Amino acid sequence: MFNQIFTIANRIIYQLIRDRRTMVLLVAVPLVIASIVGVSIPEKQMLDYIAPAVLAVLILFFGFLLTGISFLRERSQGTLERLMASPVSKLDIVGGYLLGFLLFAVLQTMILFFYLIYVLNVSFHGELWQIIVFEIIIGILAVCLGIFISVFARNEFQMVQFIPLIILPQMFLCGLLWPVEQMPEYLQWIARFLPLTYGVDGIRALMLQGQGLLDIGKEIGVLAGYAAGLMILASLTLRRGASA
Amino acid sequence: MAKRQAATAAVEVDKASFSYKNIKAIDELTLQVPRGISFGLLGPNGAGKTTLIRMLVGLLKPKSGSIRILGQTPSRQTAHLIGYMPQLPSLYTELSVIQNVNFFARVYQMNDKRQRAKRVEEVIRLVDLWQRRQDSVMKLSGGMKQRVSLACAIVHQPPLLFLDEPTVGLDPELRFTFWEHFADLTHQGTTLIVSSHTMDDAAHCDRLIFMRGGGVIAQGTPNELRKATGKADANLEDAFLYYIHREDKSV
Repeated sequence: MFNQIFTIANRIIYQLIRDRRTMVLLVAVPLVIASIVGVSIPEKQMLDYIAPAVLAVLILFFGFLLTGISFLRERSQGTLERLMASPVSKLDIVGGYLLGFLLFAVLQTMILFFYLIYVLNVSFHGELWQIIVFEIIIGILAVCLGIFISVFARNEFQMVQFIPLIILPQMFLCGLLWPVEQMPEYLQWIARFLPLTYGVDGIRALMLQGQGLLDIGKEIGVLAGYAAGLMILASLTLRRGASA
Repeated sequence: MAKRQAATAAVEVDKASFSYKNIKAIDELTLQVPRGISFGLLGPNGAGKTTLIRMLVGLLKPKSGSIRILGQTPSRQTAHLIGYMPQLPSLYTELSVIQNVNFFARVYQMNDKRQRAKRVEEVIRLVDLWQRRQDSVMKLSGGMKQRVSLACAIVHQPPLLFLDEPTVGLDPELRFTFWEHFADLTHQGTTLIVSSHTMDDAAHCDRLIFMRGGGVIAQGTPNELRKATGKADANLEDAFLYYIHREDKSV
């Protein structure tokens, strides 16, 4: 089983590496966004508050977009059908995607993290490995969300339309710019159902308050629960021997 | 046991039906394909050829009736016994020719690195693309993509090969080359199930069925089907029209 997961992950990595423009964009775009955030927020305290959230938001955004479009192409080009007729299981496919894209998520996290800390001088009181582990959890969520949502899109244009529907509301309600506690009560209620809220809370606790992974068990639990649920839903969309 | 296995047909379909919502794609179809021959599924667009192939490779489950390939119900456990070349080239366009073929070899559990490399080279040479092996698939012509797709389907040397309209969009020379490959495969004992809507392809098959409306309207060797028209110079197109008219009259 692991052999097949590695085979699929390996293929995804090669696909991305061979697409040099995508590779450059994967590194450059988060840095450009982080730079804009850094330059547009002159107040250090405010930047310290927003920067960790940017880290969580960008991993969710890119993980969702890259996986969603890759998986959509896998469906529309017929390669998924070919894979489903082969000995690989749906778990191998989802597992391969997770592993392949998480590698890029970790890479993005590290580049962004060092840029935020050493170039934009964002305050940091935690440990890097804990931040990477937490970002991997957000990455898993993003990959599962991307696979699942790709079922509802027929082409790349439609997939991009899901960003304003799936990602933007979470960005505005997760506490990226404004604390959730200061929002109207009904918005706080909605925010509690959005996974990114827990991602932002968790990463702030790790980076700003110097807490450890054990201190943010609730955030990790909610994100893992969402990821597991989406993974099951994503697997259900990959049916071999479907009767219609 | 070996005797029993040899006696089993490559494909056995017994009154299988399949519908997409209210549209009946396959209607109580019964079929037997002996091992080691090329078997054609011939019919116009919408006759049910692709649906039948997707059922045979296990991507669709019949609503009623049964399907067996090499004596077993199609499943993930039988997947290594089959090769599948879908209608679309179904390749990873960013990857090179060799990366695509190598990927499918690994998917089909060819784990020995040296043997895999040897076989990958063999099939790429077979489809005459060794000089282009490092090129991205997106840079190749339509015919070349079809050849890569064929290489991916046969790399693990399956005893049963399903080819869904493999010659669509190919020029006559390339079509001839493909049929040469297919003849080599059947000589080696591989059973080929080939769907097509061109009568040129039909003439190359050892046996074939004419399909219409999700069912079989006639089956036999190309010669038997031609002879049934009663005309000495009849071709397979005449034979197909003859069976269609006969079926219409009986309705």
